Order: sequence, then C-alpha cells, then structure tokens
Amino acid sequence: MPLEYPELSLDDRVAQLNKRGRFLTTQEMLGQLLEDPGCGPIALVSSFGAESAVLLHMIAQIYTATPVIFLDTEMLFAETIEYQQLLAQKFGLSDVRRITPARAALFERDSENLLHRHNRDACCALRKSEPLEKALKGFDIWISGRKRFQGGVRKALALFENEQDQRIKFNPLAGWDRADIAAYFARHDLPRHPLVSRGFRSIGCAPCTTPVRPGEDERAGRWRGAEKTECGIHFGPQGAATANVVMRDSGFAGDDWQGGFHDVEEIANLPLAETAALAIDLPNDFDATALLAHLHEIDLVRVNFPAFNDGRGFSLARQLRLLGFCGRLRAKGLLADQYAMARRCGFDEVEISPELAARQDEPQWLARANWQAGNYQQRLNPAMQTSLA
Amino acid sequence: MYRYTPFDKAFVGERAAQFRDQVERRISGALSEDEFRPLRLMNGLYLLLHAYMLRIVIPYGTLDSRQMRALADISERWDKGYAHFTTRQNIQLHWPALRDVPDILDALARVDMHAIQSSGPCIRAITSDHFAGAAADEVDDPRPTAEFVRQWSTDHPEFAFLPRKFKIAVSGSGADRAATSFHDIGLKLVRNGKGAPGYEVSVGGGLGRTPMIGKVLRRFLHREDLLPYLEAILHVYNRIGRRDNKYKARVKITLHENGLAEFTRRVEENFLLQATRFDGSEQAEFARIEADFTPPVFKEAPVEGFERALRQDPLFRSFCETNLARHKAPDHAIVTVSLKAHGATPGDASAAQMRALADIAQQWSHDELRVSHEQNIILPHVHKADLPAVFQALRAAGLSTANIGLISDLIACPGMDYCDLATARSTNVAQGIAKRFDALKLEHDIGHLKLKISGCINACGHHHIGHIGILGLEKSGVESYQITLGGDGSENAAIGKPIGPGFGPEQIIPAIERLVMAYLALREDADEGFLTTYRRLGPAPFKTAIYHSGEQINAA
Repeated sequence: MPLEYPELSLDDRVAQLNKRGRFLTTQEMLGQLLEDPGCGPIALVSSFGAESAVLLHMIAQIYTATPVIFLDTEMLFAETIEYQQLLAQKFGLSDVRRITPARAALFERDSENLLHRHNRDACCALRKSEPLEKALKGFDIWISGRKRFQGGVRKALALFENEQDQRIKFNPLAGWDRADIAAYFARHDLPRHPLVSRGFRSIGCAPCTTPVRPGEDERAGRWRGAEKTECGIHFGPQGAATANVVMRDSGFAGDDWQGGFHDVEEIANLPLAETAALAIDLPNDFDATALLAHLHEIDLVRVNFPAFNDGRGFSLARQLRLLGFCGRLRAKGLLADQYAMARRCGFDEVEISPELAARQDEPQWLARANWQAGNYQQRLNPAMQTSLA
Repeated sequence: MYRYTPFDKAFVGERAAQFRDQVERRISGALSEDEFRPLRLMNGLYLLLHAYMLRIVIPYGTLDSRQMRALADISERWDKGYAHFTTRQNIQLHWPALRDVPDILDALARVDMHAIQSSGPCIRAITSDHFAGAAADEVDDPRPTAEFVRQWSTDHPEFAFLPRKFKIAVSGSGADRAATSFHDIGLKLVRNGKGAPGYEVSVGGGLGRTPMIGKVLRRFLHREDLLPYLEAILHVYNRIGRRDNKYKARVKITLHENGLAEFTRRVEENFLLQATRFDGSEQAEFARIEADFTPPVFKEAPVEGFERALRQDPLFRSFCETNLARHKAPDHAIVTVSLKAHGATPGDASAAQMRALADIAQQWSHDELRVSHEQNIILPHVHKADLPAVFQALRAAGLSTANIGLISDLIACPGMDYCDLATARSTNVAQGIAKRFDALKLEHDIGHLKLKISGCINACGHHHIGHIGILGLEKSGVESYQITLGGDGSENAAIGKPIGPGFGPEQIIPAIERLVMAYLALREDADEGFLTTYRRLGPAPFKTAIYHSGEQINAA
C-alpha cells in the first residue's frame, strides 16, 4: 500500500504517473518508481519469453531483489524453463517467484491436462489468471512487458493503467517498437530465448504456441486458428474485454486514458497545480463559457451524448474549440455513421461501448475516418479550422 | 444555372455509396431500425402509410431538361410512372422499394441530383423564388445566395441532429414568392444606403400546429457576414431549442419562449465568436457561384405572331391571361404550367408529361425549368414569339390548364391517401372544388384566389396562408374540414383565422361554394380580389354565408 501522505485515488495517481512518464526515459521512470516512497510494493511479471530479457535486465540494473513473478503454467516449453534459470543467474535476480497453478484446482478442472483442447479460456484462467491474481496480492504496482506495436487492443496502451481499482499496472515498454527491442538486445548482448531462432516470436504455453511466418503479426502464433488474442491476465476479473473502445482515425484502440473523469462541478475544488492530468465529463447541455478560466488546465473533455440523435454535443464541441480549448476532446454515445461529424466539430475521438463495438465493428467506423473528404464547410472557407487535432 | 463542380459530383456519388452501405448494414443488423431511421431520413427516405416515399431535392426549384428526363425515367423504372411535385420545391416518389433506393440515388447522382437533407431534423433543402432570374420585379437574383447556403448547410456536421427540421428560404423581389416570413429563417436580399448587398434576416416563421410569422433579427446583414450569422442562429437553436416535446421544438417556439430580445442577444454574442472562423475567403466561392447564374442571352424576334394568336385563339388568350408573368426582358414571358388540371391530383405529373416539359424547356426556355411551392412547373424564359408553339406543345401533353392563381390552382398535401400523419383526405376535396367551379364556369370571374388544403394540423398544404384555407381533421372517427380565412403568404404575411365549426366531407364543397358566391356578391367590383374584400369587411358576412343559405347574403 502506498504511504499515507498523498491521499490520492488510484485514478489520480495513474493520471499523475502518466504525465510524469511523458518526460522520462524508460530506465529513468523505472528507477524513480522503484525508489518512490509514494509507491507500495512493486513486482515484475515476466513470461521469460522472446523479449522478456529487456525488462529483466533493466530491473536488475536498478535493484536485483525486485520480486519477479514467473507464471509456470506447467504447460510451458522446456526451453522456457531453461531460459528462466539462465537469465536469473546471469542478471543476479534474487527474488524470482515461480508460481504454479493450485493443485486442488488442477485436479478438479484439468486432471488430464487436456482442458486447452476444448476450452482455451478456461485453461488460461486456471493456469494463468487465477494464480497471478493470488500472487499479486499485496502489490501496489505490477510491471508488464506489453507494447503498443503488438497490435489488437494493445494499440492504445497507456504507460500506467488503473487495474480494476485494485492496483496500478505499469507498461514501461508501451512505446517501444521492434527496432528499440533489437537495439537493446544488441547493446547489452542479451541472451536469446532458444526458440526465437526457430521462428517463435511470442512464446506462451507449448500446446497453444506456434512459430510466426515472415510478415505475420508478432502474436499471430498464439492460439492460432482461434479468435483469442489475449490469455486473460490483461483483462478484468470477468476475463472478458469489458472495457470501452476508443475510435480514432487510425481505428479502434483500448482506452489509454486511465486517469478517470471528474464531474464538471468538482473543477473549482480540485487542487489543479497538483493534479497532473485532468479529465472532465460534460453533460451535453453544458455552457462552456462557465469553464473559460479552466480550459487551459484540462487535458481531456468527454462530452456525453445521452442519445445519438441528440445533437447538442456537437455544438458544445464547437463552442469548446471556439473558446480556445486545445486539449483532447472525446465524444461518448455516437454511432459509426456520425464519426465524420464528430471529427469535423472538433472531437478527436469517440468512446464506444463493447456492445456497440461488437455490432458496429472497426471497418464500419473506419469507413467514416475520411472525414476531411467532401467537406463543404472547409471548402467554402479553408481557414475554417474544425479540429485542432 | 449552377453547374456541378467535380467536388459536388464526388460528394453526391459518395453519399449514394454511403446510403447503399447503410441499407446493407440495416439488413445485416449492424444498424437497428431506430438507428437507421435518421440515416434514411437524411437521405430523403420516409416510411409512409403504404410504402416508402423518396423525396428528391430540386435545389431552390431549378432543374434542366436532362434532369427532368432522368426523373421521368426513374419514375417509370422504379415507381408507377408518375411523380408528385411538393409544396417545398421537391419531387416525391410514392412507391419505391427499399432495395431499389440505392440504385435510384445512383441514377440521380448521374444527373447531379440527390435526396440529401430533404427530411430529418437538419437544415432542409433551401427554397427560393420560382421566378428568380426572370421576374420583372426582381431586385437581386436570390439563387447565388440559395446555392451558397446550400453548400454551407450540406452535411453540416454541427447541425445534422437539430431539435427539429429547419427550413431556409431566400427571396430577391418586392413580391415575396418564397414565403420567407413562414420559414425558420427567411432571407430577403436588400441593399443598404451605400448600395452594398446584404439581407434582411427573419427567424421563427412557420406553419404547422402553431403558425407564426417570422420576426426580423437584422434589418440589414452584410453579405460577408451571412455564414457566421447563420452559424450563430443555428448554434443557439441547437443548444437551447426544446427536445422534450416535438411540437415545441421548432425555432419559432424557441424564439417565442425566450423572447426576441434574449434570442437576439444570444445570436449576436455567438456571432462575434463565429466570425473569427471566417476570413472572407468564402466570398470567392460566392463570386464563382454568381457567375454560373449570369442570365442567358435573350433572343430578339418579332412578336406579331404572338399578338395575332392572342386575337385569333380564345384558348391561347385564356392561357396567356392566367399563366403568364412579367419577365425582366419585355418581349419575354414567364410561363407557369399548371399541374392542377381540374379533377387531377394537384402536383402529380406523369413521366410522359415530364418528358414533354423537358423537351419544351430545351427548345424554348433556355433549357431551364422551375418548380414552384405552389406545385406548378415554370418555364422561366420564353420569348413571346414562341408562346403559341409552347402552348400547342403543352396542350398536346395535357398541360395547358389555364388556371394559375385561380381557385382551382389550389395546393393540397397528399393527405390520408398516402401520408401516415394525415387525419383526413385532402386530394378528394381539392378535386371536388376544382371540378365544381369548373362546372360553374365562374373561375375567371372570381379571379385571383389562393385556396390551400391540409390533411392534418402539420399543415403541409399551407392552409394557414391560403386566402381560403381548409384543414382536414378527424373528429370522433369522421373527417371534419375547418375553414380559415384571410391568410397570406406574400410580403403582407398574415395567418388565416378559423371561421367556425367544421364540415363533413359531403358538406365542405357546398360551403366553399357559398363562401365564394358571397364574395362575388360583396366585392366592390371585379378588380377587388377576395383578400381585399375580406380585409375590408371582416369575417362576419362570410361567416353568415358559410353557415346560412346563400339567399340571405344576396338579400343583405
């Protein structure tokens, strides 16, 4: 648990950390965090997979006794176990905790080790999610190796996330790309996972991992042939993607804003100088002139459309932009067919519920991502700046 | 006429493609019916009593022969071989199948037409004076402004989901043929003391269940300020217009409830903010549009043939007396072609008639046609020497009815025969009145009289601004027709007043006959029109005539 003095909610801490993270290198951020008296216990969760050596090496440079949680599902490749022992020894990591599934649960639910054949989600829950949840008890922050370039819902990964209001999840490599990883391996001459040379680029359990062909996505070899792309440890306790999706011109992404939203009434009482990143929710009948004095302090405004056909939010967005608001402007409650309108009125993005994202999938939204084409208003007056993004 | 740029063409084509996709997504379930409804409305597709109805835009009432022929082709291929010209310068197909609509929109796009913003809670197609660019009394041509506003309002991202529909009309003559006082925004082209072009801007006019005359917000608005000012009006309306009750959602109610002073204050305040977005570069587009409306080169020819035909052919003479209007070129005329043949459905034209009109316009009217909000077709630029030939061609197509401005040139909404909102039939009453007065042979004697019929309180038949208005309602399961008197849609705007209890479908036509006979008895002379007589005497003698027998009035 964090020390008592900064009585901040998890959302506020996440927002602060995200703001801090923008100005620091990965190593600096890790270093500050491990020594930050405002933070409680921190653990690194590592699969000892294809790219794990980077974070393990960095952590070891700072503090070799950092707890490292290694999830042994008892279905791993023998090479992974060897690699784990090699790295721990080479980097001098003194607190690697090898976590295995609960014996009783295994006996009850997968006594023949065949669960993965007919229910992969249940297998991941039994062998990964549940043991990890137990192992993370008491930790304030856990560090994961996810990166945005891995695609899927990871595309909009934030540096820090509020995980179910229980702890903070830190993704130090969120902004790294393939070249950064390769350069780090080369510079520090890190040993490779033995399977990498055989075409494995993302390595999980043996039954559900295959090599990746050239040109394929990093994680294409995981659960090949199934729609599954995540094991479940990176979702909420329900084990399903319940989070809202955020649509931008580049397509769907997970919500990278983990700082939470304040009601607009609270703004006068917020210690603005200390609140690193500030997001507010506005009802669509709000008159933004009341916010004039605070506009420059707000990082993100979310305008709520109570119904998609209640167009007041479009005018509110226009008003905010006309009054000089330059931060992020998000709409919530619109349809795919309204994406272009939202962008032209000054919104940067649209937040979509999982239900709507399932019914109106990414291609339907991307069909209106060409919002700058066929724009009569812009054509009449090129100076008519509709969006600052 | 305005010529589509590659930008306009690409836009209309893209919108047709988008709608095709939306129809497919509706069928696949990606869009629910509730979500699909506003999208189809944005593309002019209504669901009426029996079928879908597609309302196609005729921008400010102007079209050429190529477009008119395409409309004829479309009505034959995908509908029942006719179309209905509406009271807002649009054209409606009443029987299209949903799966055909994307093909219809593609066919329209090929001739630079569309159905965009002909319905739904958005800025609707802009309407204007059907005599624009031709009328002798014109001060400035309203069409460049109408086109300018058309472009600005098309797919306007902020105003696609307003509290309610929003209608803008532009007029440029002393005589207000565009009924600007009865629009959400009325723009009258005026010049200030220095001769600079601008607009008188009125807001909050409208008919429907709460008829109101628009109130003037600005006596003079510089042309350069038009778009930011429109942005400001629409922005304020979108923010504070009521959304809790659709009968109180039009801007006329917003204006009424907030008061003219408060509404104006908000608009003027927002205008200052909006003006910062416009740097004047949009005036270049205005100039480009204006050039497209350069008047055609009017030919010179002797008019003796025309004068001889007037003397020799009584049918031609009768047609010319009613159906011609004064053109700015003295040896030309504006010909109004009546779509109100006695006994026919007002505003309906067959595919063959549309093709005939296209041919006539191409040969004798500089390839231009207009549609009036009174549901007639205009040939705006006909040389008088060509009038006899035009008349013969119209006659051959069954389009030579000589009744413009007379009692049988009435306007009527489609009524309960098509519309799911209607509470009474209206076309049967229209046909009955037209036939009755044709039989009495009194039309020409009665003279200028505007009679308008609506089949429900929403007033698509504009009954409030009829000199005589008829409103069809349903009273305990039977149709009841209420008479209003004294309405006027012109520059002397007035809203008609209900005169008393309604009449059943069998009684309404005799009641109108008693009313008109009373007028003939009461007028000072044949030059005193119905409205003048009514204004002079008030409703009392007409009321007596309507609710009592005709003899009493004649005796009085």
